[in-house]
Amino acid sequence: MIYILRRVAFYLAAFFVAVTLNFFIPRIMPGDPSARIIASFQGRLNDAQVEAIRASYGTTGSLWEQYIGYVGQVLRMDFGISTVQFPEPTSSLLFYGATWTLVLVGIAITLAFLIGTMMGIHAAWNRGGFFDSVFTPINVMLNAFTPAVVALLLFYAFSLQLQWFPLGRAHSTGLVPSWDPQFIGNVLYHATLPVLSILIVSFGGWHLGMRNVMINLLNEDFVILARAKGLSDRRIRYRYVARNAILPQITSLALSVGFLLGGALVTEQVFNYPGLGKFTVTAIESRDYSFIQAQLLLLTMSALVANLLSDIANVILDPRLRKG
Amino acid sequence: MYSDRVLMQVRNLTVDYVGDHSVARAVNGIDFDIREGEAFGLAGESGCGKSTVAFALARLTRLPGLVSGGEVRLNGEDVLKFDKARLKAYRWNEVSFVFQSAMNALNPVIPVSEQIMDVIETHQPDLGAEGARKRASELFDLVGIPSRRLDDYPHQFSGGMRQRICIAIALALQPRLIIMDEPTTALDVVVQRDIIEQIVELKGRLGFSVLFITHDLGLMIEFCDRIGVMYSGELVEVAPAEAILTNPRHPYTRALGNSFPPLIGPRLRMEGIPGTPPDLRSLPEGCRFAPRCPHAMDVCRSVAPELRAYPELRSEAACHLLN
Repeated sequence: MIYILRRVAFYLAAFFVAVTLNFFIPRIMPGDPSARIIASFQGRLNDAQVEAIRASYGTTGSLWEQYIGYVGQVLRMDFGISTVQFPEPTSSLLFYGATWTLVLVGIAITLAFLIGTMMGIHAAWNRGGFFDSVFTPINVMLNAFTPAVVALLLFYAFSLQLQWFPLGRAHSTGLVPSWDPQFIGNVLYHATLPVLSILIVSFGGWHLGMRNVMINLLNEDFVILARAKGLSDRRIRYRYVARNAILPQITSLALSVGFLLGGALVTEQVFNYPGLGKFTVTAIESRDYSFIQAQLLLLTMSALVANLLSDIANVILDPRLRKG
Repeated sequence: MYSDRVLMQVRNLTVDYVGDHSVARAVNGIDFDIREGEAFGLAGESGCGKSTVAFALARLTRLPGLVSGGEVRLNGEDVLKFDKARLKAYRWNEVSFVFQSAMNALNPVIPVSEQIMDVIETHQPDLGAEGARKRASELFDLVGIPSRRLDDYPHQFSGGMRQRICIAIALALQPRLIIMDEPTTALDVVVQRDIIEQIVELKGRLGFSVLFITHDLGLMIEFCDRIGVMYSGELVEVAPAEAILTNPRHPYTRALGNSFPPLIGPRLRMEGIPGTPPDLRSLPEGCRFAPRCPHAMDVCRSVAPELRAYPELRSEAACHLLN
C-alpha cells in the first residue's frame, strides 16, 4: 500500500513537471496564438476586441499570472478555445478524438497482448517444435514491419479493391452514437482494418518476450521441482512458469501504451479514422496551438496512468513487492 | 540403523549429454544399491556426474541429457521403463527431491501452502482441499514451522526455514526415498547443522531412505551410512562411511579426504588434488584418475580397473593397486 502511495506521489510530481514544461515550451517559441488570430483580422479590430481575444487565449498579464491561470485550467480540464475551429472548445474535440483512439488502441493492444502471450507460452513450452519453428520467425518478421506499410496494404486490398470494409470514419454517417448492438457492431466493423493493422505489427513482440522469459524459467529449480512432484503439465506451464513470466510482460505493456498512442497516428491517417492522431495531424498543419498543447498533455497523462496501472498490477501479481 | 533389504538397485546406469557434434558420457555404467532406511551418499568433485545420477533416478533427465542404458530397479520394477501413468504415480509417492538452493526451489509468486497442497491434491485427489490443507499444516509442524505461516510467500522466510519447507514438501506423500542434492550447501554452518539434525531425526522416525549428494565429505561421513565416491562419471569406491574415513581404498578417496581439515588435532598443510578432471569428450585410456594419481603404474594407463568387492572391508573399489 505504501508502495502504491509512493508511486502515486511520484506520478503526480511527474505530471506537474509535464504541465509546467507544456506551458513554457510554446511560450519560448516566437509568436503566440492570439497574435495569429488578431493578425487574421488585418487591423479591423479595436483595442477592446484585441484585449478580449488575448484574454480568451490566456495571453494577458505577466508570465507568472498566465502560468497560474494555465494550471487552474488544466486542473479543470479546460484547454481553452480551439485556435482554428473557433469557437469550439479544445477539450470537446480532444475528448471526442481520444474516445475513438481509445476504442482502436484499446482493442488492438488487448488482442495483441493476449494473442502474443498465448503464442509465446505455447512456443516456449514446445520449444524447437513445429509451432515454435514456424511461428516464432514469422512473428518476429511481422513485428519488424512499420504500421504505415501494413495499414496502406490492408487499406488498398480490403477497402479499395475488394471493398469489404469502409473507406473511413468510425461509424456510418446517420447513426447516432449509443450502446445498442447495431451501433456497436457498426463501430467494430469500421474498426476492423485499423485494429488489424496495429495488431499485425505488435503481437509478435509479446510472443517473443513471453517465449524468451519462459524458456529462461524452464531451467529454474522450482520448475524442475514441480516436474519431480508429478504435477500436470498444464499446472506447471501456467501456475509455475507463465505466472512468473507474465510479470515483465505487464511492465512492457505499460511502456507500450505511449508508443501505441503515437503509432495510432499513422493508422488513423490512412483509414481516415477520427481519433486523436488524425486531429493532431490536422492541428499541426493548421497551427492549432491549444489543441497540440492539450494533446501532448493527454499523451503524458495516459503514459503516467498506464505506468501507475502496471505498478498496481505488479503489486497484485508479485508478492515480493508487497510490504509486510 | 538400516536393514539389508535393497530398496533401489542401480545397474550399469549410463547417461550421456548429446551435443551437436559430440557425445559426453557423464555417467559411465555405474552400479550401486540403496537399502531400506539407509542414507547413501554420493561424493565427488563438481562435474563428476553425481547430480546427473540423481536426476536419472528421479526420471528428470531432459535433453541434452539422455539415459542411454542400464536399469534402476525399485522393488524389482525398472523405473527407467515406466510409462506415463506409472511415472506419475512414481513421482513424489515413491521418490521425492530436495534441491540445493531453497530460494530457487520454491515458486516466488505463489504461497507455500499452495506448493505443498498441489502435490497432495494431485496424488491424493480424494483427500480434497481441506484434507490437503490439514496435511500441509501437519507437515509444517513436523519440520518445526508454525502452521499459521502456511499462506506466506517464500521471500518471507529465512534460508533455513525455506529449506525446512522444501523438506516438508518432500515428506508430503511419505516417499520411500528422498534424493537430497546438496541440501545444505547454500546455508551457513549453524543452520546447516540444524537441518541435518532435523533430517536425521525425521529419517529415524519415518524410516525413509536418503540419497545424499554433496561435495562436503566431512558432512557426508557424519550423516551417511554408506558412501559412493564418483570420479569422472564412474564409481571408484563404495564403502561404509567409517571405512571411507579410516581406511579409504582408492587413491582418489584418500586425496578427497585429505582436502578437508580435521576438526581436532594438529594443524596440517592441506593438499589439494593436483590437476583437473578429464574432459568427458576425450578421456584418457585406462584408469581415468591415472593422470592425477601419485601411485599410477603402467597398467593404469592402459587397462581400466573394474569395481571389485573386498568383503573383509565390506567395501568395493576400482583400483589396480589393490590387486
